[in-house]
Amino acid sequence: MIPFLLRRVVQSIPTLLLASVLIFFVIQLAPGDFLTPARLNPNISPEQLENLSRNFGLDRSIPEQYLRWMGNMFRGDFGLSFQYQQPVLDVVWPRIKNSLWLVLLSTLLFYAIAIPVGVYGAVRQNSLGDKFINVVLYFLLGFPSFFLALIIIYFILLARDATGLDIPIGGMTSNNYEQLSSLGRVWDIVKHLIIPAVVLAISDAAGLTRVIRGQMLEVMRSDYVRTARAKGVNERSVIWKHTFRNGILPIVANIGGLLPAAISGAGFMEVVFAYPGVTPMLLTAINTQDLYLIAGFTVITTILLVIGNAISDLLLAVVDPRVKVA
Amino acid sequence: MKKALFVALAMTVGSAVAAPFVWPAAWTAEQNTANKRGGEYRYYSLSDYKTFNPFTSAEADSIPTLIAAGTGLFAQDPRNDEFIPYMADAKPTVSNNGKRFVVKIREGMKFSDGQPITADDFVTTMRIHMDDKVGSNSFDSFRLAGKPITIKKIDNYTVQFDFPQVSSGAYERMAFTPWPDHVFGKAYREGGAEAIKKMWTLGTNPNQIVSPGMWTLGSYRAGERAVLERNERWGEWNKDSRGNALPYLASASYRIVGDANAALAAYLAGQIDSVAVRNADDLAQIKRAMDAGRLKATLIPNVSPQATSQWITFNWNKAGDPFKQKLFRDVRFRRAMSHIANRKAMVDLALGGLGTETYYSVYPIFRQQIAAGASAPKYPYNLQAATNLLRQMGFTKKNAQGYLVDNSGKVLEFNLSTNAGNTVREQLGRIFADEAKKVGVKVNFTPIDFNNLVNQLTSKGENRPFDAILLGLANGSNVWPFGSNVTPCGGNLHSYNNNSKGTCLTSQETLMTKLYFQGDATLDDAKRRAIGGQIMKAEGELQPVIYLVGGNYHVTFNERLGGEYPRTMMDAYYGSRDLALTFVK
Repeated sequence: MIPFLLRRVVQSIPTLLLASVLIFFVIQLAPGDFLTPARLNPNISPEQLENLSRNFGLDRSIPEQYLRWMGNMFRGDFGLSFQYQQPVLDVVWPRIKNSLWLVLLSTLLFYAIAIPVGVYGAVRQNSLGDKFINVVLYFLLGFPSFFLALIIIYFILLARDATGLDIPIGGMTSNNYEQLSSLGRVWDIVKHLIIPAVVLAISDAAGLTRVIRGQMLEVMRSDYVRTARAKGVNERSVIWKHTFRNGILPIVANIGGLLPAAISGAGFMEVVFAYPGVTPMLLTAINTQDLYLIAGFTVITTILLVIGNAISDLLLAVVDPRVKVA
Repeated sequence: MKKALFVALAMTVGSAVAAPFVWPAAWTAEQNTANKRGGEYRYYSLSDYKTFNPFTSAEADSIPTLIAAGTGLFAQDPRNDEFIPYMADAKPTVSNNGKRFVVKIREGMKFSDGQPITADDFVTTMRIHMDDKVGSNSFDSFRLAGKPITIKKIDNYTVQFDFPQVSSGAYERMAFTPWPDHVFGKAYREGGAEAIKKMWTLGTNPNQIVSPGMWTLGSYRAGERAVLERNERWGEWNKDSRGNALPYLASASYRIVGDANAALAAYLAGQIDSVAVRNADDLAQIKRAMDAGRLKATLIPNVSPQATSQWITFNWNKAGDPFKQKLFRDVRFRRAMSHIANRKAMVDLALGGLGTETYYSVYPIFRQQIAAGASAPKYPYNLQAATNLLRQMGFTKKNAQGYLVDNSGKVLEFNLSTNAGNTVREQLGRIFADEAKKVGVKVNFTPIDFNNLVNQLTSKGENRPFDAILLGLANGSNVWPFGSNVTPCGGNLHSYNNNSKGTCLTSQETLMTKLYFQGDATLDDAKRRAIGGQIMKAEGELQPVIYLVGGNYHVTFNERLGGEYPRTMMDAYYGSRDLALTFVK
């Protein structure tokens, strides 16, 4: 296992280097820079613009900027965000924490929904329940999650108007959060998290449910399952031990992707629910051309993707004895 | 004996606690006579806050500006735009031909941590802003024509400012917020600019933030909200007309909403107390909610024009295309273009009827300056007049497509661009192009990327890469409403002529440059406005830039709030209320 990990580390170096070059230069392809809007401000003199561009290092050539950035990164410094005038990690970290809660909760719900529903569909193939689930899933598969969120918000608003119930549909905490007890704070956050997490889980679960159902059906037809049944192994064991364990192999192979996904936030769901996660921050950064914030964050996710893939391979070896990592 | 004791007592009290600043009763339409105190003002911010550091903060709506509300040696009276002593004890002593100001600081003012506010705080704050390595947004306000303004401490409560030349903006420039010397001065002396940049980031504990102003920072949650709390120390020297400490409010919260539609939704749902009304659509939604009884609020449409401009500029530096260069430099052509601009249609169609026609670089909201330039020429919508002017230039015939051609058969056409995504500007450009077609001028209107557009506009040289650009400017003060980099030749926003030497090309430009510096160096308000009027006259004649229209400012606020400005004092420049006098009913 150790040689496997070492090999992975060595392999990841050129990958990361190439990724960083691409990230940095693709961002630079956009016209203008962070200071462009300031140039339209009659209150800012050209002299001050030069000062700022010197302070931000924007007066240097692009390759030079890249080399300095790269050099700093080896020392664990991902650069300063132009907007915040703070190290990228300091800016990103509180947002990542916020996103993490949402993503973890929705991932939990995601598996809690997808696995039983997928297994049910396979075990009761073509039953009325299976058919009903299939129809719903087809519907959800074709639905962008942010649109689903908007529809749900609409219904919540109707419910709020009708009942006067205060169901939170935006943000992460209530106005009086600071005055709440610690238990009250946890409950307050959960209240805010639950709706976006459920929407996210439901809309994503549609895909995975179908994969699990298909995998299970395939494995159930295999010889060893028939043998197990013939030997009189009870049905529960057949499904969960013999079929399910083999059926989820492709899912385990994908688990590595969860690591970068966990910190890259819940995408447009965060925007729709005005959730203070990574995505809204990143969108602003792109709009304002906050170079190092975008580049730094992308590098972090790339590193996590590499680590995540290694973890996937290890997990696969644990689940599937046929796969060896050494 | 008793009397002597009383006098002695009164004198000691008098020297320890100087007279507070009394907020004029006329600054509010609704006196807080019921003496209601406490409560929260709930507002919003479109973008997340970036820092708590007053020296690196670059945005207008930053946490440092919010907490420092109610600071500055001088403050502008919204009734007449005049500067009155505020953190200063009295008007300054002016000497050296209007270049030296000796200012007494009001005694008894304290920072939120209880330390007195003294001359040192003003001196240190200005020094740090002036350090170009800090990158402060206020850097420019402490320099005049490239030379620094100096500040000197005379004694603990007296500072002296020396300006390199007389400046109309002197009071504004001296009206900066003092930040604590005992916090920043120490760091700056030890670690210089780098140490200042590292201070008061978003990670700093809010209770370490020391405020000179109306609020202290209560709490901040990234991407969610900032809560400000009343600074009791500020109330010690700010009283209402009946002697009560201000502000009445206990707190003000700013929810970060991320986009204007979300802000409107929160306002309609009664979750925030006020919202910036962008257009007719917003107005209609608020009106509907009020009529349906879902929202109890006040709505005042068309309070004033916005302090912004929208205009079309023509490029005079087109060495690569002599035909167009000659065209754009011809004053008859530009006057014709002003005649083509159907400003009424622009207000009606692009702004839903809620706008103001503009003819000068001075925003129409700056009424006093506009009044001083009332005789400046205008070239309003008149297609016949445009046709006549173009005929004088030799465009007498039309080709098969109906476009004017000169004697050599060259079509009268140019490209006009604006920034894509700005729907109002896209409509303004479309209306302009349609009207131009009526007289036979071919306008190829294309919205392009904003950054590309700015690069083109601010480019320098003999052959700049655009024909005409439709864009807008905001910012500027009502003291001297001409931009230092807009009006004089050589300024980077002197958009129509920006040759490599930065020289003027016409006598009017030379005159405007001269008048700009003359007015900027005039302290007397009336005289300065008269000079401004002369600039407007030269600008009107030359028509270097065709000013179009601007949107209007509308006010709406929830019924639970009281203490707004009287209707006549509200405008886009001063806003609709001062939080110091605002109270929750």
